[in-house]
Amino acid sequence: MITNGSALLRSIVMIAIAIVACAIIFQLSGYSAVDAMSGFVQGAITGPGSLMSTLRWSLPLMLVGVGTVLCFRSGYFNVGAQGQLYMGAIAAAALIPVLPGPAPVRMAVGVLAAIAAGMLWSLIAAWLKTSTGADELLTTLMLNFIGALVLQYVTNGPLRDLSGSGQVAAAPPLPLDVRITGSSGVGPVNVTLVILVLIGCWFLVNRTTFGLSATIVGRNPQVAARQGVNPRSIVWSTFALSGGLAGLAGALEVLGPTGRLIQGFSPDVGFTGVLVALVGGLTVLGATFAALFFGALAAAIGYLPIVTDLPRSALEVLQGLVALLITVQLRARWKKRAAKAKPDPAPAVSKPGVSEPAARTEDPT
Amino acid sequence: MPDALEARSLTKHFGDFAAIDDVSLSFPRGQVHAVVGQNGAGKTTFSRLICGLYEPTAGEVLVDGTPLRVGDIRSARQQGVDMVHQNFSLPPSFTVAEAMQLFDPGAPAVVGRRAMERRWSEALRRRGSAIDARRRIRDLSVEARQSLEIIRALEGQPTVLLLDEPTAVLAPSEVQGLFEQVRRLRDSGLTILIILHKLPEVFAIADTVSVLREGRVALAVTPIGEVTAEELTRHIIGPDSELPQAHSRAEDAVGSATGADHLDQASGTVLELEAVDAPPSASDRSLEDVDLRVRAGEVLGIAGVEGNGQETLLDVLSGFGRVSSGTIRLEGTEVTGLGVLARRRRGVRFIPSDRNSQGVSLTTSLWENIAITDLLLEGRRWFSPRGRKAAAATRLATWKVKHRRVEQLAGELSGGNVQRVILARELADGVRLVIAGNPTRGLDLAATAFVRAGLTALAQEGVAVVIVSADLEEIRDVSDRICVMRGGRIVAALERNAPLATVGAAMVGDAA
Repeated sequence: MITNGSALLRSIVMIAIAIVACAIIFQLSGYSAVDAMSGFVQGAITGPGSLMSTLRWSLPLMLVGVGTVLCFRSGYFNVGAQGQLYMGAIAAAALIPVLPGPAPVRMAVGVLAAIAAGMLWSLIAAWLKTSTGADELLTTLMLNFIGALVLQYVTNGPLRDLSGSGQVAAAPPLPLDVRITGSSGVGPVNVTLVILVLIGCWFLVNRTTFGLSATIVGRNPQVAARQGVNPRSIVWSTFALSGGLAGLAGALEVLGPTGRLIQGFSPDVGFTGVLVALVGGLTVLGATFAALFFGALAAAIGYLPIVTDLPRSALEVLQGLVALLITVQLRARWKKRAAKAKPDPAPAVSKPGVSEPAARTEDPT
Repeated sequence: MPDALEARSLTKHFGDFAAIDDVSLSFPRGQVHAVVGQNGAGKTTFSRLICGLYEPTAGEVLVDGTPLRVGDIRSARQQGVDMVHQNFSLPPSFTVAEAMQLFDPGAPAVVGRRAMERRWSEALRRRGSAIDARRRIRDLSVEARQSLEIIRALEGQPTVLLLDEPTAVLAPSEVQGLFEQVRRLRDSGLTILIILHKLPEVFAIADTVSVLREGRVALAVTPIGEVTAEELTRHIIGPDSELPQAHSRAEDAVGSATGADHLDQASGTVLELEAVDAPPSASDRSLEDVDLRVRAGEVLGIAGVEGNGQETLLDVLSGFGRVSSGTIRLEGTEVTGLGVLARRRRGVRFIPSDRNSQGVSLTTSLWENIAITDLLLEGRRWFSPRGRKAAAATRLATWKVKHRRVEQLAGELSGGNVQRVILARELADGVRLVIAGNPTRGLDLAATAFVRAGLTALAQEGVAVVIVSADLEEIRDVSDRICVMRGGRIVAALERNAPLATVGAAMVGDAA
């Protein structure tokens, strides 16, 4: 997997190429590329409240993106952040109104419940993986759909706000005293929390035996297992961590900018989180910057229709292009590695602990 | 009339390693030609060159006197050469008819299921097979799959058929059936090249035999009646006179009546296996009733033709694989149920037989490859990279690993240096028992000598060493005692000065 500095540089080049390609597409479609780009800069940085808006979208992406980094580094393609985030949001929104006690305690319990719910949702995939060998890419993807449907059910059924206009199903707004931030989505508590999480994850990846073990499991599970690493425990812990982070992101959403549980809120965070992890070269630092970029993009997408006649979906083209280029880049690297592998295939080797593709061996054999 | 198949000065390099070096062999038509040799002698590379899978570095292959278009299996098939691989190639989830259709180059693009099944049922019947064309490949026995692979090849009307170690996957009773099929095919005029490991099988089926050793021809297409089992063994393992005697343990120990000068008779047993049975590992067969004893300061060599349970034994010893019954004791304490890390903490170190896929992560830096082991052994939760890098640098210097920086990826080093990295990592502190699988495979002379010297020196310090190797010279060079594995059992326990012929005979089974 890509984990070094040159990969980060490549990611920057990819983003630059995507921006240029996007500008060409805008121009060819009859819009002014210059207007669009200046609108993008205004929406993300220079406009009134733009930086705040960029940060508001970056924070959940940081949590989800870094969680994805943890799983991807150890070779497990957990793409279930969206479902885990919804589960976290549901847990916080359902629990807080019925909890007794002072507001700060209810808030804290709600956040912890959200983390636990995200973890449990993620651990379903971990359990399927370790017990049956089911491909986590598929199970986490499917669990996203289930999570979205559970949210739909909860907001239409048990938690439905009957006093609302009823256009979009939603739960009643949460009382202001348990909210972590206001509608801006940026406050001292959540910013501090995210910074602490980022530092913690950086330490975990770069300074702990667990982080090193997980990284080596991701690159060559055979080697790790023969040093005494248990790949199963790596599966459980990385899935729990990334699920917990996604659940936390969900809590920060409902206790922050959205202020209530809304059917299908923030539908792209999970998917963009995967992009954040990949563009960030599967490093915590890289993912942090990538989250800022995609946060800026999200802020600009919201802002652009105000200043130009460019449709909202135009900037989504940019995001799509980045995704495409990153995929192409990964594939090219993968092919190059396959070509470098020795011509004489090594004998088939056993797979450790985890019954199936834990041995997505990245090392040439 | 030209021979059915001829290799002319065939050479194949992988990097600067010559897997096949100037091999010229000519196989007359209508006979069964056995090709034998030790592991790493180049048999598989040779057969892949013949069937068009590899492009030769130099030389050529002639089929019926016409040069083979190289590097393309399909054109080789059109020219009449086909190969049945050791690992079968038919997709397990397909039905028999679907799989056969898939590999039929002349098949129409669109075909009805009924017609397809009828066609292949008929073809199977014509070839005397009772396999139902509607069954799935994965539901067939190994024997049936193999015969299906042969029929698949025959449907392309080949003139030369290659069988790569076809008996390795079969039970003894099934081998008879295979050989009858091979004889029938020969009698119908086909030329058959068969790669074999076991001498009794060679004598049972072959009309001629050729021996490859270290990528060269040791014996060229010789009628089977003109060679004895003993001569053949000597060709396979090399004449005794060629063995480098100078640095062998046997020489070191001259003058010592027992031969084990550094071995204190009182030194304790480090490793003891009692009646160990184990299920098959991913790449090797099961173990049956294995007893072993290794004392401190002793080097036990385990010889055997690959695939006779050695990989399973390595897994069982390192704690990576489980046993189904029996006990393993380490310095008197039972460790049968302990995992890899628990055994490592008791002083077991492991040099895996496939260093690139089991030894180091090639896409990881040198210091991380070393640090992971130390950290797990020490049971530390976190670390400072600076300290770990310094420790790795010292260790790499001690073992003379040629490298630029400790941040360098392990994959950038040569094979010999990768092996040194593994030694540097494994053989640091608190070693009581080293388990080494083919520790010098693929290494050049200097690196080989270095690794062997390192292991021997450890034994002098009182560490118990188990070396599992397919290389007889290596076993003889470094071992105090030799055990031979065959069919998942220890079939012979020999002293170090046992003649190679005895060891070789035990490895391949007593030829008639």
